[in-house]
Amino acid sequence: MKTLEKIFKPKIILILIIVLASLLRIWNLGLVPPSPDWDEAALGYNAYSIMQTGKDEYGKFMPIILRSFDDYKPAMYTYLIIPFINFFGLNIISVRLPSALFGVVLVLATYYLVKELFGKKGESIGLISSFLLAISPWHLQFSRIAFEAQVGLSLNILATLFFIKGLKRFIFLLPAAFFASLSIYMYQSEKVYLPILFLVLAIIYWRELIKIPKKWILTALLVGVILSFPMMYDIATNKEALMRARGVSVFSDQTQFLKRNVDKVLEDKKNNDVIGLLIDNRRVEYGMAVFSGYISHFDFNWLFIRGDIQRHHAPFMGLMYLFELPFFLIGIYLLFFGNFSKKTKLVILSIVLITPIPASVTSGVPHAVRAINFLPAIQIFTALGIIQSFHYISKFKFKKLFYSLIVLFVIFNFAYFLNQYFVQQNYYSSESWQYGYQKAIEDIKPMMTKYKKIVVSNDRPLDQSYIFFLFYLGYNPSSYQEEVKDSSGGFRENHAFGKFEFRNINWDKEEKNKVLFIGRPEDFPANTKKIDTVNYLDGKPAIIIVEG
Amino acid sequence: MKGYLPLLFSSKILLGFIVLIAFILRFHLLSSNPPSLTWDEASWGYNAYSLGIDGKDEFGKFLPITFLESFGDFKPPLYAYLSIVPVKLFGLNEFSTRFASAFFGVLTVLLTFFLTKEIFKKKSNVIPLLSAFVLAISPWHILLSRAAFEANVATFFITLGVYLFLFSLRRSKWILVVSFIAFVLSMYTFNTARIVAPLLIFGLFLFNRKEVFRAKKEVITALVVGFILFLPLLLFLLTPQAKLRFAEVNIFSDSSVINTANQEIANDKNAIWSKTIHNRRLIYGVEYLKHYFDNVNPLFLFVRGDGNPKFSIQDVGQLYMWEAPFLIIGILFLFKKKEGNWWIIPYWLIVGIIPAGTARETPHALRIEAVLPTFQILTAYGLFYGVSSLSSKKIRRVVPLFLLILVFFNFAYFYHNYFSHYPKEFSGEWQYGYKEAINYVNSVQASYDRIVFTESLGRPYIYALFYSGYSPFNFRKEAVVEKEALGFVHVNKFGKYVFTKDVLGANSQGKTLYIDVPGNIPNKVQILKEINLLNGRPALVGYTK
Repeated sequence: MKTLEKIFKPKIILILIIVLASLLRIWNLGLVPPSPDWDEAALGYNAYSIMQTGKDEYGKFMPIILRSFDDYKPAMYTYLIIPFINFFGLNIISVRLPSALFGVVLVLATYYLVKELFGKKGESIGLISSFLLAISPWHLQFSRIAFEAQVGLSLNILATLFFIKGLKRFIFLLPAAFFASLSIYMYQSEKVYLPILFLVLAIIYWRELIKIPKKWILTALLVGVILSFPMMYDIATNKEALMRARGVSVFSDQTQFLKRNVDKVLEDKKNNDVIGLLIDNRRVEYGMAVFSGYISHFDFNWLFIRGDIQRHHAPFMGLMYLFELPFFLIGIYLLFFGNFSKKTKLVILSIVLITPIPASVTSGVPHAVRAINFLPAIQIFTALGIIQSFHYISKFKFKKLFYSLIVLFVIFNFAYFLNQYFVQQNYYSSESWQYGYQKAIEDIKPMMTKYKKIVVSNDRPLDQSYIFFLFYLGYNPSSYQEEVKDSSGGFRENHAFGKFEFRNINWDKEEKNKVLFIGRPEDFPANTKKIDTVNYLDGKPAIIIVEG
Repeated sequence: MKGYLPLLFSSKILLGFIVLIAFILRFHLLSSNPPSLTWDEASWGYNAYSLGIDGKDEFGKFLPITFLESFGDFKPPLYAYLSIVPVKLFGLNEFSTRFASAFFGVLTVLLTFFLTKEIFKKKSNVIPLLSAFVLAISPWHILLSRAAFEANVATFFITLGVYLFLFSLRRSKWILVVSFIAFVLSMYTFNTARIVAPLLIFGLFLFNRKEVFRAKKEVITALVVGFILFLPLLLFLLTPQAKLRFAEVNIFSDSSVINTANQEIANDKNAIWSKTIHNRRLIYGVEYLKHYFDNVNPLFLFVRGDGNPKFSIQDVGQLYMWEAPFLIIGILFLFKKKEGNWWIIPYWLIVGIIPAGTARETPHALRIEAVLPTFQILTAYGLFYGVSSLSSKKIRRVVPLFLLILVFFNFAYFYHNYFSHYPKEFSGEWQYGYKEAINYVNSVQASYDRIVFTESLGRPYIYALFYSGYSPFNFRKEAVVEKEALGFVHVNKFGKYVFTKDVLGANSQGKTLYIDVPGNIPNKVQILKEINLLNGRPALVGYTK
């Protein structure tokens, strides 16, 4: 590593890394992944709606929380899109750009955070960590789509970075408070994650904190409280938002979850088994479910080979590179026994241990989005492992052979990823990306006037189809709000605006005169005359357009 | 930890106590939980019975050493030989059939103490005692010790082999010969040991190459003795029938990998570089890793355990939840401290999973049982160093008490579920109902000319043999045996019994008793006997026309 530093100035390397990170995040942003998913389309249209009318699709003025598909997500991301829509219009690139840019910011912030944590040794660890993050499959996956979690992560890291900087230069505590408050407007999990993180950080740096003049701490706290007050107020008063939290929690699906437990309790009662009744307790089952959700994130297969659900990773790859595995493990060891400050160790360890907490009370674990705060800590592990291994190998006789083998494998692994992400993903995952609407809508646009009604299926996998029509037609938000009032386009409900009706198609009973139907292949009998078929990128039919 | 344990008890008493716990947890209600015998267990029992009578297996093969044909699965035969004495002593029943597994299970606990002592070479007995204790209460080891699983005996021989190898380095090098015999015995006991044992021997040699080179005479003797003992097995393993089963269940025969690779290359417009990065050998390699890592999935290890209820009660993992942090701490400290022969533990753990990674159904608690007791030793190591590295003395006193409560609760949860709910919930998985059916047949068979018994629950003949203690001589004379292309063996007939999947279509002469599954019973027959699973669901019905 020393030689590396001699050849290049660290600043130059950092700039190269940032250029690489930007290229990987912005190149073909509108084409890969091949289509916005419904959340992205919703964020885009709501931004458009707010930009034009000051209100979201439901007519709520400047919302803090977006009702969207009744999933009540924090609304901040929507506001970030608005300037881009101004420049580039309402399209996928505008929707994804904020995420991509924050992704680049995180790569930079990672370097500075590592330098802050590791002091003098931080230079090479920081460069390697930010390089690994720049090419990370996990991070690229989420910085190339409009997922709020990734922006939340960037804000969290900025907050942590400025907090640690603030221990020496107190004024930095203010941006720390600012970024932390911003983050809770960005993504659900941060409301659980950040308070725990900052509590732990406060304990770790307690000695430094009490030496800081009171006025700085009070000002920072004040900034935090004032900025987060509207969100807190909303949480306390908005009952519907709580529903979402309940909907995804492990405690939601009570009957199925507790079925075996109920049987056991009945049996214990029959046997008069007092100890049994104590053991077969609902609370024990809940506790085990949370533990199970938590620990499920520490699965090698999930991390390195199998990956998460299709939309969350490149096909046939994990969330991390296989080449990272050995270094990652060595890095974990070094985190415990390496030769650097105990506080640094505690900070990184805490980030890793706190991260799965918000996800562990939800169903659908392990979850690559809810646990995205693992980044960039796992890259820091890997960087530590790489440096230590190279140091070790430098004593070998055949060190050049070893170095070249490793570099070769890294290049191979990276090339494989690029191919899987930029080429294979569109082929294998276009259905998961709800591909097809763009083309279908372009095709019907010229003939829309011919029909008095257009019926669109909202049955799986075309659920929430209405949002794609709003998005791609750029439907006038004020007339939309006017038409639908408070009626929800919510989760799999029937919906209508303009000439469009969104509902299940029941072919035999439909009135067909001057009506256009847009649906799934199975919505129509085999011999129906089709106007058009839009295929997924693997050639399977996705959307079929039929004249009634 | 260091403080008060040795003051209260001497190590010997504690070890005795741990072995007693192990004994109770493995022998208590052995014949009724698991609630019934699987066909493999019944086959072990009956083959032991048959070998004990005239030295021939059920089909009349004299002193089989390389395999028992059994259901065509070519069982490594040692478990049957080990069961001869228990079957002679206690009769042909569940207890005697399971005795060998439970007995060697207890011995493994005892051996773990000595093994751990040999590995770390420390004066203090705390880590060895903890290791033995963790194994004694291990859900994984308890479940596999309580049924006639030959894997459990193989685990004992492997542990013995490793222990004797390390012991021989410190004492007499001639003990190496015994160590080799133990390893070879494990290979005659369970399939995966045939890969694990040689790899372990290789590793033990590699890490101790200096000492080994100094003892040429002993090493060569051990190698020669081992090889001679291994030779018959080797000759068998080279035959096509030995390879048949492996080819059927391994991941490398999965053609979807090749289709995917071809599609991906096509997506890259058949570029040459694409053929390199989508090389099928590499994809198979990753596929292998995937199956390998399945076996260390945290949910498998700590939460649910194996999906097969025979190897896990489904409420507790293969290991206890509380072990998770200590396992990690144990691994970290193991690499930090590097005490004694520490390297054998990670090596053993990694090697022990190698054979299981080639199979399609992963994770598999039985196929990787050879990694025991490494998990338990690591947990014990983590417990010891985790607690003793705590900074304040007060905390060091309180934490063990707190841990003890946690461990106890976790154990109570397992114990209660295993003994109170498990047999009832999963009796179907243990082929419950056969014993009751055969006992019923035995009680009434005098008044029938023929018994038509359904094969849809699998391999009923072995239960008919087992529960009537049928004479092997008569069986060999009367049995009508059919062999499938893949080597599976069906017994279609013996004595009054006819076994068929098609009970209704069986032609019946004279007075016939039918035993079939509930869905298949025709109307207008006289139901004589209904046999239910322990959860009340019907399993078998006896009727006559």
